[in-house]
Amino acid sequence: MSSQSKTAEQSVASGAANFLRNYYIYFVLVAIVALLSLANLDQFALFERGNFLNKRNIINILRVSAPILVVAGAFTLLMVSGYIDLSIGSTMGLTAVIYAMLAINGMPFVPAFLLTMLAGAVLGAINGILVVRLNITPVIATLITLSLFKGIALLLVQDGVSAIKSGGGLKMPAWFNDYGRDGVFLKLPAAFWVAVAVTLVLIVVQNRGKLGKYAAATGGNPTAAKLSGINTGRTVFLLYVIVGVTAALAGIARSSFMSLGDPLSGDGMELTAILVVLLGGTAFSGGEGRVLRSFVGALIIMALTVGMLTIVPAYYQTLVIGAALLTAAATNHLVSQKGKVS
Amino acid sequence: MTEEQKTSVLSVDGLTKDYPGVRAVDNVTFSIQNSVVHCLVGENGAGKSTLVKMLTGALAPTAGAMTVNGKAYVPTSPQEAREGGIATLFQELHVVDELTVLENLTLGMEKSRFGFFVKSDLEDRVTQTLATIEPAIDPAARVSTLSVAQKQIVEIARAASSGANIIIMDEPTAALSEREVERLFTVIRRLRENNVTVIYISHKLDEIFELGDTVTVMRDGKHITTCPLSDVDGRAELIEMMIGRTVFQSYSPRGKIGEKVVLKAEGLNTKLLKNVSFDIKEGEIIGFYGLVGAGKTEVARALFGADSFDGKVTFHGKPGGRTPKEAIAKGIALVPEERRTQGLFTSLTIRENVPVMNLPRVTQNGVFKAEDVRTAAQEFVTQLGIATSSIEKHTEKLSGGNQQKVVLAKCLFSQADLLLLDEPTRGVDVGAKTEIYEIIKDLANEGNAVAVFSSELEEVLGICDRVFLMFDGCLQEEIENGPNVDIAHILNVVTGGQDEDAR
Repeated sequence: MSSQSKTAEQSVASGAANFLRNYYIYFVLVAIVALLSLANLDQFALFERGNFLNKRNIINILRVSAPILVVAGAFTLLMVSGYIDLSIGSTMGLTAVIYAMLAINGMPFVPAFLLTMLAGAVLGAINGILVVRLNITPVIATLITLSLFKGIALLLVQDGVSAIKSGGGLKMPAWFNDYGRDGVFLKLPAAFWVAVAVTLVLIVVQNRGKLGKYAAATGGNPTAAKLSGINTGRTVFLLYVIVGVTAALAGIARSSFMSLGDPLSGDGMELTAILVVLLGGTAFSGGEGRVLRSFVGALIIMALTVGMLTIVPAYYQTLVIGAALLTAAATNHLVSQKGKVS
Repeated sequence: MTEEQKTSVLSVDGLTKDYPGVRAVDNVTFSIQNSVVHCLVGENGAGKSTLVKMLTGALAPTAGAMTVNGKAYVPTSPQEAREGGIATLFQELHVVDELTVLENLTLGMEKSRFGFFVKSDLEDRVTQTLATIEPAIDPAARVSTLSVAQKQIVEIARAASSGANIIIMDEPTAALSEREVERLFTVIRRLRENNVTVIYISHKLDEIFELGDTVTVMRDGKHITTCPLSDVDGRAELIEMMIGRTVFQSYSPRGKIGEKVVLKAEGLNTKLLKNVSFDIKEGEIIGFYGLVGAGKTEVARALFGADSFDGKVTFHGKPGGRTPKEAIAKGIALVPEERRTQGLFTSLTIRENVPVMNLPRVTQNGVFKAEDVRTAAQEFVTQLGIATSSIEKHTEKLSGGNQQKVVLAKCLFSQADLLLLDEPTRGVDVGAKTEIYEIIKDLANEGNAVAVFSSELEEVLGICDRVFLMFDGCLQEEIENGPNVDIAHILNVVTGGQDEDAR
């Protein structure tokens, strides 16, 4: 279609479609919160009696959301570049174990924290090497490391112990819980604020950073990106490392919250992350997607999960989340189809 | 070109490229002046694309040297080519749909500190360049909202603002409407005013005369001439330089064409095709000849029901198929253009490939009759002379010619009596070519109707009884094949010429 034949009517329609596409996720969040708050939770509430919008309930949701919130942004950028990391759950489990082991053996908070982040970076780099250097399909490469990383984590805890925790002469230091549980600002723990900070940084990276733009170019049209002199391999490698680091932050948050280093604590995280990112409107094929919208997507999933716990039996949860996602995906598809002018 | 002395921006000296057994570009020497539109013409296979690949760094020359802007030029990648001063507009678009126009224009050239973009004059500069060549495009628009023509202009603007002073355009008008072509020409003229040299490759000779200052003609890998277009005496002389040799004529009438019309197409229209009508008779081989993008493949795909179309197809007195499944059931088979991706299951064996277009013939209650499949495959291997050690050989391991014979076997097994052959001998060696021609003639002699869609004139004139000349989605002319075919006339027609221009 040539520009001359593009009528004003169409541009209004595509403007509306763009608006819908850009902001529908926020409406979804508001709608969910509204629905949940309308429900009379008195007879079911697990967390707290009373309204869903109750302060303690919200704090609880945000506390348990820290791990998914901290990975969502980096995972979005990776998917925007057209790649995927299925190993984040195992990376989380392994780094949770490493963090707990360092702590229980007497290492202070700061070095233990930094070392665990470094471990996450190394694990991410391994994914990056498999995908970029050895040219293994991302899904296969990260399925391999999903298994490998989990295997290492299980080996580390061995001896019939299911997780690294106090006992057998070793004791978790007192500070271990603080990061994931202790309210430092607005009654929310450091883990949550770190997730917010990471998200803010990644929003800037996406809007003003080389990495953000190059990720979009790599995912949108790899040949064009290469012909423009972009090192797409390095872009993807870097994104895998960043995802590894955020997965480590998620592992730290989870283990701190649970007071133990559980090798399986990240199981299923890859699916949650994919759901969250898709819910945020990121294209599975790459090129499109916003960090902020994935952050909101993560909030929606957590509101649903936790909110659901309070009003419907647990075994309905997965089904309802699936239905919610289906609705989101279908809306997204319809909206993006309408927005297309070609 | 004016009288004033213009400097040479690009010169190639003794440039040669050898492929095993073929010299694609043979000792080519010419140079291009500054700020001109320089056209590069030649038939399919004349060596134009190989030459361009060497200029863009996609291929390394076997021998010879290139000089760009006074410096020795040895690019190994499109990026190095651009740094050397040459940017290329490829046939497929290389823009990122998901980014804005401005983001595309600056892609890969941004100034940054610690990984974050910093303010620079880059954005102003590229916006300026874009505004100079096409003010109607909004730099803030997402590229996905632009038309193909506009995307192309974005690419041109990027090339121009990347510092390249030579832009190669390879068939840039192939996907454009007439109006968009005019706009592109305006853009190209503006580029020329801004000291950019454009190397323009096109099969459409009208465009070349309208736009070009100078021209280089290539034929069979050799450089024929480089001269100002004003020195060329019209289309006829240009075509003569492009053909040069006499086309080998091996056609002999087979005299077995029936009277019965097998297929009649009336007023086919698609996105590309315009009012295409023709018929095919029993035992006849008809040819569709035209250059890349003329619409040959589209005719084949429409007849096979692979693309939707407006118009009427009558096959044996009944409506033709609207889907490939229907077409096959009615007795139409297509040997598609891309053998490896569209014609064969390359990871399967010959035996497994042969029956796929007509499984009911070799199955009973959904189970293969293994013996029948083997017999059928074996028969075709013998009948078509497929050179293989066994019917269990994977088709990816066969040579191009033998692969094509397997595709033919697949079609014959479907018991079609109309065969559509799209570029039947592309990428096939000379020996196998002749064999395939013999097979095609045999099939016609047995009473099958055959339609050959080809961009090789020798092929069409070698085997077809009637030839339709295509240009720009239209059947321009129908020609009875015979010893007195006027080759220059044919080339004139398929490059968009009117009758009177040629004489």
